[in-house]
Amino acid sequence: MSGEAPSPSSGRGWVSEGVRKRKRDPWRIAGNVFLTVLIIFAALPMVWMFITSIKSQFAAVQYPPEWFPRSPTLDEYRRLLLPTSEVGRDFLRYMFNSIWVSFATTVLGVVVAVPAAYAFSRFRFPGRNLLFYSVLLRNMFPAVVFLMPLFIMMRWMGLVNTQFSLILTYLTFGLPLSIWLLKGFYDNIPVQLEQAARIDGATRFQAFIYIVMPLSSPGIIATAIYSFIMAWNEYVYALTFINDKSRLTLPVGLQRFFAEYATNWPGLMAASFIMSVPVVVMFLILQKYFVKALTEGAVKS
Amino acid sequence: MTLATPTTTIRKPASAGAVRPRKLNILQRIWKHRHDYLYVLPSIGVMLLVIAYPVYYTVYLSFFNTPPNLALEDKIYVGLDNYWRVITAESVHEATWNTWVWTLWSTFLAFVIGFAAALALNHEFRGRGLLRGTLLVPYVISAVAAAYIWRWIFHSDFGVVGAISVALGITERPINFLDNVDIVMPSLIAVNVWKEFPFAMIMMLAGLQTVPEQLLRAAQVDGANAWQRFWHVTVPHVKGVTLVTVLLLLVTNLNSFTIPYIMTGGGPAGASEIWITHIYQIAFGRIRFGLASAYSVILFVIMMGMGYFYVRALTRGDDRSHG
Amino acid sequence: MSKSKDDGILSRPLGRRQFMAYTAGAGVAAAGLSSTALAQASKTGVDPAKWTAAYIKSIAGTETYDTAAECYKVVPKDYKGRLTYWYFGPTQASPQIEHDLDKQFWDAFKAMYPNIQVTALNLNYNEMIDKLRTSAIGKAAPMVVRLPILAGVEFAAKGQLMEFGPESVGYSKDEFWPGAMKSVTWKGKTYGVPTNNETMALIWNAALFKAAGLDPESPPATWDDLVAYSKAIKDKTGKNGYGMVARVNAGNTPFRFMPQLWAFGGGALDEAEENPTYKSIFVNNDASKKALQASYDMYVRDKSVPTSALTNTQNENQDPFIAGNLGMMIAHPSEYAVMLDRAKKATGEDKKVADEVVANMRYGLIPKGAARRAVVFGGSNAHVFRPDLVDGGLDVNAAKAIIAFATGPEWSTKMAWVSSNPGNLRGFKTKWMKERLETIKFLDVTTSMLPNGIPFPVVPQATEIMNIIVPNMLQNVLTQKMTVAAAADTAAKQIKELMNEL
Repeated sequence: MSGEAPSPSSGRGWVSEGVRKRKRDPWRIAGNVFLTVLIIFAALPMVWMFITSIKSQFAAVQYPPEWFPRSPTLDEYRRLLLPTSEVGRDFLRYMFNSIWVSFATTVLGVVVAVPAAYAFSRFRFPGRNLLFYSVLLRNMFPAVVFLMPLFIMMRWMGLVNTQFSLILTYLTFGLPLSIWLLKGFYDNIPVQLEQAARIDGATRFQAFIYIVMPLSSPGIIATAIYSFIMAWNEYVYALTFINDKSRLTLPVGLQRFFAEYATNWPGLMAASFIMSVPVVVMFLILQKYFVKALTEGAVKS
Repeated sequence: MTLATPTTTIRKPASAGAVRPRKLNILQRIWKHRHDYLYVLPSIGVMLLVIAYPVYYTVYLSFFNTPPNLALEDKIYVGLDNYWRVITAESVHEATWNTWVWTLWSTFLAFVIGFAAALALNHEFRGRGLLRGTLLVPYVISAVAAAYIWRWIFHSDFGVVGAISVALGITERPINFLDNVDIVMPSLIAVNVWKEFPFAMIMMLAGLQTVPEQLLRAAQVDGANAWQRFWHVTVPHVKGVTLVTVLLLLVTNLNSFTIPYIMTGGGPAGASEIWITHIYQIAFGRIRFGLASAYSVILFVIMMGMGYFYVRALTRGDDRSHG
Repeated sequence: MSKSKDDGILSRPLGRRQFMAYTAGAGVAAAGLSSTALAQASKTGVDPAKWTAAYIKSIAGTETYDTAAECYKVVPKDYKGRLTYWYFGPTQASPQIEHDLDKQFWDAFKAMYPNIQVTALNLNYNEMIDKLRTSAIGKAAPMVVRLPILAGVEFAAKGQLMEFGPESVGYSKDEFWPGAMKSVTWKGKTYGVPTNNETMALIWNAALFKAAGLDPESPPATWDDLVAYSKAIKDKTGKNGYGMVARVNAGNTPFRFMPQLWAFGGGALDEAEENPTYKSIFVNNDASKKALQASYDMYVRDKSVPTSALTNTQNENQDPFIAGNLGMMIAHPSEYAVMLDRAKKATGEDKKVADEVVANMRYGLIPKGAARRAVVFGGSNAHVFRPDLVDGGLDVNAAKAIIAFATGPEWSTKMAWVSSNPGNLRGFKTKWMKERLETIKFLDVTTSMLPNGIPFPVVPQATEIMNIIVPNMLQNVLTQKMTVAAAADTAAKQIKELMNEL
């Protein structure tokens, strides 16, 4: 776990130390201008989302708009997050369902992807490449195309209207990139480390658990984040597979919320805001692993 | 896929010219490695479960006409008629054009902006972590939420962008982003780029970590200017990750659904209809499952063609490291 | 309409005469009423001379019914079973009273049949059809569904519904509008029971009319007037005039555009004509093109309607209306209750605006066109799915219990409380109907639109024609992608292909 902290060497780059001393480097200035514009582009929609969410419904449909609400209100947040109203109860339930589905997808994804990636990296069984390519190709199939046949299949398996149908489907969305990323990780871990451990008497499994797993933990964290975000955000399968209101996930809940709330833009924006918070916070905390994992797993030179 | 597995050619018995012993040999080798398969069984199993039947069913259904007044069991076999109808339909041509406009522009802009951001972020400065974090947020926001946020921002009557442009005196009336056949596509692409550039940024940021600093220093000592250092040192080192990033973006964009579906539903007047929303519309709006299946199969074929490059890019260097 | 109101006393005998007249066909003119009104009556079965506001008031509260007794005749009280039921019930855009009544409905059903275990799913209109199609194919359909009037025939034609009519639950066909019965009939067999029937009206903001120099107390008489009114409001006040809706694949669009098309003398097929055969295509006749032109004039030429009409659903007109930013729109009677609710919830300055809008809200008839005055004869029907398509199998008695309960005089009145009319005509005679008429403003206006009601074509392709082809035609014109003539011809071609696919 030694390489976990942001390494001091991350300051290296195409613009090096020497250049930085010259204060008026045009490239640097251009870069800063660009970053400023970009941050406005990235952040303004979220700012407007928040501003709208604290307006009253009337204030939201004024033209020209109120740039900042004259009488800001947290009503919509209260309504969504307090279980005193039906709306609040529904919303909290969707949220809970989303957390559960995403969490289960993530855990299962890691459990399934890690051994597969390890095998693809270490073992030399016949058909290895063919299988690996097939796994990667899964991403080439557009999800929407499979809606109907998958629905029929889930019905055969008695999974329609269960969250397991979603977990199963989401699992396969995340797997290709997870396996690919983790395989890249294992490729970079010297086989000799494991061999040394096995000479010391460890079984292959022990060597894997004590040597390989810790070294690949950034990769595992990264794939976990990736799976979680994917499951958290998926919409069209959840829309088709789940009927019961009590089992819906947030994206469909949000859509239904919108249809139900008509032009309640403040409510919709508040719901979007709440829905974004968990993943954004999680991602911001763990982003350094993400970059690190991509550097080590995806970007091999 | 016809990509041969290199391992099957190893240790070919010199004397055996016949097919039979070699076949046995493979079976033996499979048996010898039988425990290895257990590691990949869960992932391959779950993939097969979720993919094999839908692919089979889609191909099967593509040969049948399923008019809206008939139950699916009463479908009518029509051979390749559905394929012909898809290929010749004007709306499909329109959607094809839109799909490429959507995919190529989204990919190009997301990549260029992401790469530029990665370059600008690739040195130490105060607040870098915060800045990088903020720029990453659009990537993790749900597509459904993003679609609604932007639909609201672009709203033809109460949208903030339209209002700003009026307030600044750029236009007289609020700009009509989503209800206008000419502007709807650029508007949707802007949303998609907003959502995707962080992914390109983070990938390229990772790629830039692999550029050796000594080389940049050496080039500087040799008198290379910033552009030359970028072009001759940085670019060659990030070629691989560029390819991977671009391909991942291309595949994602070709498969886009949520943003156009929620923001415009393919409208107005079909101006933002892309392949996937079109297939959804044919299958669920017009209940022509046969037609939609043929459309999907055509899509598979195109995707598989791309798949070759995709797999090559993702597995580049594998043979070298473990050959 | 004022004419038929005056004829109130004569209405009963005249009604019978008329009935005989239009079965005889040739005797129509002899009845002394305009032939268009009669033509429409032949489709909905709503006798315009009989069903006047005065008549409706006069019969309300004249009879009492025992819901429990009627239901127990069909399914006994102690019946033990299981029910899955999908419906499009109240949403957050609906007034509070509909939510309350929905809750009362389920509580009452539970009390009536304590041993039937109910799983009910409340879906919105646009989501319902997509989900139901997939579910029926995947054999995961609910036992009973309450579907929009437009959609049922598609499932019946596919053979996915059970043969099931009013008789199945102890009622007779005569207790429902003939037009409603027609919507649950496919190839001579009955596949459902009407739950409610509705027509809409025009609502407007009198203050905006006044500010635009228009007569605040009367609606535009014709569609041409409506175009002019919309422009006047936009020009004089800067607010949008008419709440146009032109979204594709949203049920709202045909409910607002078809009345316009029909009024001019057009239509999708010949559904607005006397004795429609659904064989000829009207969508590109001159009248239809004139109607399209009117929409073009409002959206493109005058810019007097919301620009977001192409992406909006009707719900998205509610806020601008209550905020005083929209002049007029076609709406349910429930819109008044919605606006009252909104006004109640608003605070501070918003409240003042909202109260003013509510005070200035007026209801009137939908404008006339060259050919007729028209409105969609809407509503919904309850259907039962074939046993092998139902998730977990069909419990036919549970299905009968809920349908008997929901389509009886009591609950078909209560469930239609603010937005429509009871499907069961006996509902008009209940004390609840009387209460409705006394408490709900403008109800009589929408009810008096009933004789102008035109049902959607009863063909399995109706959903696609109404929700996709017609809105697409409208969008092609409004975005100026095509000329009016080209868009109409394209739509005609699409409808022709669609109908020939049979």
